[in-house]
Amino acid sequence: MIETRSAPKNGEGAWLWMIKIFGGVLIVVILIIHLIVNHFIAEGGLLTYADVVRYYSNPIIPIMEISFLILVVSHSLIGLRSIILDLKPARSLLTAVNWIFAVVGVVSIVYGIWLVMSIVSQGSA
Amino acid sequence: MIESQEKSKTSGVAKWFDPRWRHSGTWAFILNRVTALGLTVYLYLHLVILRSLAGGPEAYDGFLATIRSPIFVFGELLVVIGGLIHGLNGLRIALNSFGIAVPYQRQLFYGLMVIAIITSVIFGVRMFTA
Repeated sequence: MIETRSAPKNGEGAWLWMIKIFGGVLIVVILIIHLIVNHFIAEGGLLTYADVVRYYSNPIIPIMEISFLILVVSHSLIGLRSIILDLKPARSLLTAVNWIFAVVGVVSIVYGIWLVMSIVSQGSA
Repeated sequence: MIESQEKSKTSGVAKWFDPRWRHSGTWAFILNRVTALGLTVYLYLHLVILRSLAGGPEAYDGFLATIRSPIFVFGELLVVIGGLIHGLNGLRIALNSFGIAVPYQRQLFYGLMVIAIITSVIFGVRMFTA
């Protein structure tokens, strides 16, 4: 443990690895902001649908939530892929995993943005 | 660290739990993986369940009433604990990736895990007494 460093593993490009590392740090930062805003700044917390809609009417919130969504989804899929890489998958399996994860990632992010937007539109309606 | 060092030793999931090579790095590695899998399951479950937000006030407030039962609060506490372990240990890995505090990562790991335990207790107390 002492002198070895974390680095991209075989089959994991430097870019994916960088996104995973920097994304991870950003997730920690956004989580801290999220907790402080939700529990200390929002009066009494967000305990009803109306509270959530009101909370999302500040444009910073949807921007923060969508950034968080993209970061968490990417981090989870790149991380899951690096666990799969450790299990030494066959080339064909890895190709399938790459495609499936890309689709899951895009679908999750599009769905999440749609969800955020549907809440924002509730507030402006 | 762990990622590159232990790679050669991990040929299957069962090896994560192989007691023959348990050093603090191994524990960090196992904890990071187990929490990663748990948080991933939670993330996609969370995204699917939040669909009720699009269903309007009745659907969402009904959902909120359900998750106030102790079993869900306990599940949420597991997510908080998993998030703390994974996030704090992840900060160590990020520092380590850029060659920062590499010789002290054992101490850093223990220190961060103490913070994770203390914060988990605070969350647990607040979640079950609020």
